[in-house]
Amino acid sequence: MAHIHLGEGSFPLWAVALWTLVGVTLIGIVVYRLRRGGIKTHQIALAGIGAAASFAVFQLNLPVWGGIHMNLTGLVGILAGPALGALIALVVNVFSAALGHGAVGLLGANTLVNATEAIAAYYIFRTLLRMDWDVFPATASAATIGLSAGAVLMGAIIVVSGVNGSALPRADLTVAVAGLVGLNLGVAVVEGILTGFVVQFLASVRPDLLDLIDRERGEEDPAGVAA
Amino acid sequence: MTTLSNHVPDPRLITAYAEHRDSPVHRVNAWTKFGTVGALVLAVTVADSLPVLTGLYAATLVVYGVAGLPYRRLLYWYTLPLLFVVSVAVPLAVLEPGTPIGGALGTPLGALSVTWQGAILFAELSCRSLTVVTFALAATMTTRYADVAYLLGRVLPTPIDQVTLLTYRFTFVMVETLEALVRAVLARGATLSEFWANRRTYARILGMTLLTAIERSERLVKSMEARGYDGDITLYGDVPRPPIREIVVLVAVYAAVVGYALIAVYGVVSL
Repeated sequence: MAHIHLGEGSFPLWAVALWTLVGVTLIGIVVYRLRRGGIKTHQIALAGIGAAASFAVFQLNLPVWGGIHMNLTGLVGILAGPALGALIALVVNVFSAALGHGAVGLLGANTLVNATEAIAAYYIFRTLLRMDWDVFPATASAATIGLSAGAVLMGAIIVVSGVNGSALPRADLTVAVAGLVGLNLGVAVVEGILTGFVVQFLASVRPDLLDLIDRERGEEDPAGVAA
Repeated sequence: MTTLSNHVPDPRLITAYAEHRDSPVHRVNAWTKFGTVGALVLAVTVADSLPVLTGLYAATLVVYGVAGLPYRRLLYWYTLPLLFVVSVAVPLAVLEPGTPIGGALGTPLGALSVTWQGAILFAELSCRSLTVVTFALAATMTTRYADVAYLLGRVLPTPIDQVTLLTYRFTFVMVETLEALVRAVLARGATLSEFWANRRTYARILGMTLLTAIERSERLVKSMEARGYDGDITLYGDVPRPPIREIVVLVAVYAAVVGYALIAVYGVVSL
């Protein structure tokens, strides 16, 4: 899960207002679409418990480069879909900010980044499955690309906003942020591979969660196709 | 050995402090604390002076202490917020134009040195971040579960409020599930000390956590529908309006922040 790797107060006021507005607009669209379709109880339950699981997973310290934490945003997007994935991203960010991780003023920007990861991962995963990719490479690629998109967006948000109190020109700020984005791209690959293994495991025990039953039946029943 | 991290606040510990301790901060109305977080976010965003930011940070540390909360744990919990500050502020401290501190280090790309302006920027960013982190933790560790749930239910629109309330309720369950899975894996002889060698074990732990979450959500749907869920999780608690003295203090805080911004930062109003 790529974050805006800046603490509270790092963006000027106009940027805080801008990203809050963009974040609210995105979530507004998601809520409108969900309400228009009639919100089902199972959607509420899945989003609520999915966000709780994502938040809980963040408590696990993975021994990579001295220890990293993940929220598996790509995985959440693949399992819950783009709309619920965006809602989960918002809720996880709200809880993270309340516990001092992330920033209250940057909720809009953080949600934008994480929702992008979830939405991109979902659509790429579905596209790759339609192209007949296996579950592991499809998931690992989708999650890695989705998280990378989030990391690049995060860097772009920092460069557009500028850092509060810094006199650094935008070009030099881009150089400073490039290292951070590069680090996040490395984490995206690790998280992407892990997501691939997790979904491979889930597909083996509950293929219905990923709408893979029809696909598997098709593969297992070549005689029917031949007939 | 990998276990649950002590760098991330455990929601169970946070709630235990809120439910079982008492202090002057515990007795402050939840709406007042919520409003104060907003004022602090605004203050650290507009303030452009290191002494002012240091003062704000010191004030939140005092509030944290008055609430009887543990400073030692706070140091652990600062790890991630500080890591975020360091990841951007260190390159900025080197690249920021200004007067070098000490000598410059010759590199193939040119001379590199930390400037006074860069060091001050680093200190400012740290104070800004840690001020809100400290107060947010103080607020959550002194506000009862029922009050937090009530605020979430009132502040957020439907269906976000419903999702948030379920998340809040099930975070504790999911943390315990994850902890049990890690403990079980360790009891069976796994070390988990290397990620790549144990990647499938990690995938199973995380996969089982998500599977448990999904199966719980499926059971929850049945129980919600059996109880006639109609898009609203009823909250029986209530957080009353803050007492008048807290409202006065909060209004004064916002007036001070806006006044400071208009006069000292943006120069819109001159005295």
